[in-house]
Amino acid sequence: MAKITESTRKEVTEIVYNFFAEECEVDKSRIDNNTNIIKDLDGDSLMFLEMIEIFKKKYNLDIELKVIGKYAVKHPVATIGQLIDMQLLIIERENRLLELDNKN
Amino acid sequence: MKREVVITGMSLITSLGLSLEENWKNLCAGKSGITKITHFDVSQCATKIAAQVPSGFEALSKSHIRKRAAGQMTRVTRMGVTAAKMAVADSGIDFENLDRGRCSVIMGVVNTGNSSVEQGTTPQNTVFKSMTNSLPAWISLEYQLTGPNFAVNTACASSAYALAFGYEMIRDGQADVVIVGGADSIVNPEEIQGFNALYALSVANDPPERASKPFSKDRDGFVIGEGSGVMVLEEKTMAQNRGAHLYAEIAGYALTSEGYNIMAPMTDGEGMARTIHLALENAGVSINDIGYINAHGTSTELNDRYETMAIKKVFNEKAYQIPVSSSKSMLGHTIGASGAIEAIITALALERGIIPPTINYKDPDPDLDLDYVPNKAREKNILVALSNSFGFGGHNATIVMKK
Repeated sequence: MAKITESTRKEVTEIVYNFFAEECEVDKSRIDNNTNIIKDLDGDSLMFLEMIEIFKKKYNLDIELKVIGKYAVKHPVATIGQLIDMQLLIIERENRLLELDNKN
Repeated sequence: MKREVVITGMSLITSLGLSLEENWKNLCAGKSGITKITHFDVSQCATKIAAQVPSGFEALSKSHIRKRAAGQMTRVTRMGVTAAKMAVADSGIDFENLDRGRCSVIMGVVNTGNSSVEQGTTPQNTVFKSMTNSLPAWISLEYQLTGPNFAVNTACASSAYALAFGYEMIRDGQADVVIVGGADSIVNPEEIQGFNALYALSVANDPPERASKPFSKDRDGFVIGEGSGVMVLEEKTMAQNRGAHLYAEIAGYALTSEGYNIMAPMTDGEGMARTIHLALENAGVSINDIGYINAHGTSTELNDRYETMAIKKVFNEKAYQIPVSSSKSMLGHTIGASGAIEAIITALALERGIIPPTINYKDPDPDLDLDYVPNKAREKNILVALSNSFGFGGHNATIVMKK
């Protein structure tokens, strides 16, 4: 299991903010962790999948989309902050993501 | 009593321009939009020309479609969505003031243009770029319209069918506003080689602007065009009450199948004649009322011969007094978009009293002897006009419009 450092969190946050600013054509200063992806940015569900692909490549992650799908059904993402938290969990746990639910 | 249906918004994106007025000006000037193909290397194609939409379209599209959505659309879909937004703006409709459940979208879509020349296709967007329902879907999303939205594919008659269905929905009280039209481009090597194999396309590559010559003796096939035409149809009283500009009224239509051949029209234009006859009957107008026919006029041997025969069968001696012109002489054949584009041109002809010409009419076919409005636009006060569309597979449509 990968260790999430403060620098990882900063890096992921930066990538997510830049991605949404670019794709939704909004100034980055308008985005914070409480920004709602659909309501505030007019985003779409595909963006979540694109983010996963970006992080899979960047961190060379071993994780199947169906694992993320099962997790996301129980833990839906609405805000930028929630998306960052989920990406960090994916980086940390990869295919062991669902173990979190099993523990609970 | 049936409700009446009017056109309150229109837009054109074609090889002759990126706005309704630019197109109209060039059509009336008898200009050709046909040039050498620039989208790809044509060395393997017998046909090397097409009527391509100018490159300024990209900037126009960016001003109308968000980057995020544009990334999930083909260039063809972007043409249709951009044209739809311009038509809605032209109509002055504010959907906030309407019941969106009574507003619909019907588009003629033969294919979405996700071909080998399409840029930016990825595994993530290829499904959206290939969905033939994507054009009406994106338009309904843009305005959050919740009436039915769907695509119609009847080959070259697709957007004429869309117009007929939109008219019918309003007339029957199922909708108050219907955005209808189509968008298409088959300017890609696969389609050109395919149509070349059927001997359907002109190979008169030089000079390109002379290649499309409907009703001429030396016509040698159609020239592919690309573009989009979109209209806003509206219930007449509602449109009048909000002070909308009324371009023309849709008076009726006929849709028929020939049940004859996948490619060739029925011998001697029998199927075309039946369609025109039924359209006149449906609209409740007589042969004496018709002041102009915007022909399907593809510049192929069979279409132009049979369409001429069909007009003569329906109108008898009167046929010689009706101006018949082919917009495809200038715009090429825009396939799924052609029915809507040509209906828009017909509506403008009614509204403005000017008939755009058939250009390149230098060497008349002696067997085809109607008044094809040769080479120059003509002023004429028209009260009722027809727009014909006939597609591979025997899909026929004739739309009747009134001033």
